[in-house]
Amino acid sequence: MSEESPPTAPITATGTASRNVDGQAIAITVFSSVKWFGRLWLPLVFWYANHFPKSTGTLARLSFIHFARWTLVRRIPYNGPPQQKEKLSYPRLFFESNFNGGWEEYIDAFSHILTSGMKVFWGTSYGFPQPLPTGPFKAYIKRNELEASHFYSAYPQATTTMVLAALDLAPRLERFKEQTSGKTAEDFAQDWRKFLEETQGSL
Amino acid sequence: MSNQAGQAYAFMAITPILEGEEKKLRAYLDGFTQETSPFAGLPATHFARWVILPDWVDDPSQPRQDHLGSEYLIFTSNFDGPLGSYLDELCRRPEAQEIWSHCVGAPKPATGHLLKAYLLHNHIDTGFFVAAYPDASVEKVRASLALRERLSAFAVRSQGMDPATLQSAFNAEFGG
Repeated sequence: MSEESPPTAPITATGTASRNVDGQAIAITVFSSVKWFGRLWLPLVFWYANHFPKSTGTLARLSFIHFARWTLVRRIPYNGPPQQKEKLSYPRLFFESNFNGGWEEYIDAFSHILTSGMKVFWGTSYGFPQPLPTGPFKAYIKRNELEASHFYSAYPQATTTMVLAALDLAPRLERFKEQTSGKTAEDFAQDWRKFLEETQGSL
Repeated sequence: MSNQAGQAYAFMAITPILEGEEKKLRAYLDGFTQETSPFAGLPATHFARWVILPDWVDDPSQPRQDHLGSEYLIFTSNFDGPLGSYLDELCRRPEAQEIWSHCVGAPKPATGHLLKAYLLHNHIDTGFFVAAYPDASVEKVRASLALRERLSAFAVRSQGMDPATLQSAFNAEFGG
């Protein structure tokens, strides 16, 4: 249960290093060290999340995430000398997100909305505080976050909401064109007003 | 593992940076802008990044501290599949050749199918991948955003038009 009020809507890309930003888009890149039982637990979590997508419905409803991923790094590939063979005492949980809004608001939303989900993903990481209150969790992410050397977005000025609205609008416009083809100007104008009312949320 | 959501792919490769090359590599990567980014020439790329991992960030509560033997370059991309053709295109880029030439074990020159094989060797599978619009390609997203912008502008511009002018203007704008 949330102990604090949910955050207000994010505005623009703020709160992180400039190299993590491209237009409205922000990159988060985080590694955390995983306890021994996370080696068993996290593959089960991934399996469950992949096979039962409804279990992660709340995550999908976070309207500011374009793409995100979790990866358990258990070994570092070896390429021969002079690379040293890496022996990981602990597997590492890699988390990447491509989102819009502000860094602070993003972590706030994660903590408030995905409170139990975050415990599932990060509960086996060393040093993971509870998602709430958000202060210690933000400090934890900051400590484990890496700055991108180069981050790219193909549509940097578009938020996730804008993309979803645009994808919704395009087929509706096609249907409108088909339905109004051959109509009189008066009927067309009437249908146009109705179309605008129906799609105003996507415009 | 789940490197795919709809038609969207998640790729990740971790490659060791040659000793003493980190500064040069970092400076090269830092020089890219949105316009000069090599990803701008890879039209299937939604979001991508290069990150340099100097060492593990250990937590004080760990019984043992872990250290890497060298610095590592992390490459991740979220793109329209399939993977093979995307890597083919990436490995043809001159920037890719420059970037991975700073890494241990990369082919010389770091290009073409040998670079592709190198990246696949250093690939790490994704555990769980989330995409907000998994079935929309970059091309479709961009086209839809442009259409939305035109439609919004037309909705404003067409206010107060009489029916005949409205229909005519709509057909001229959207080919109705």
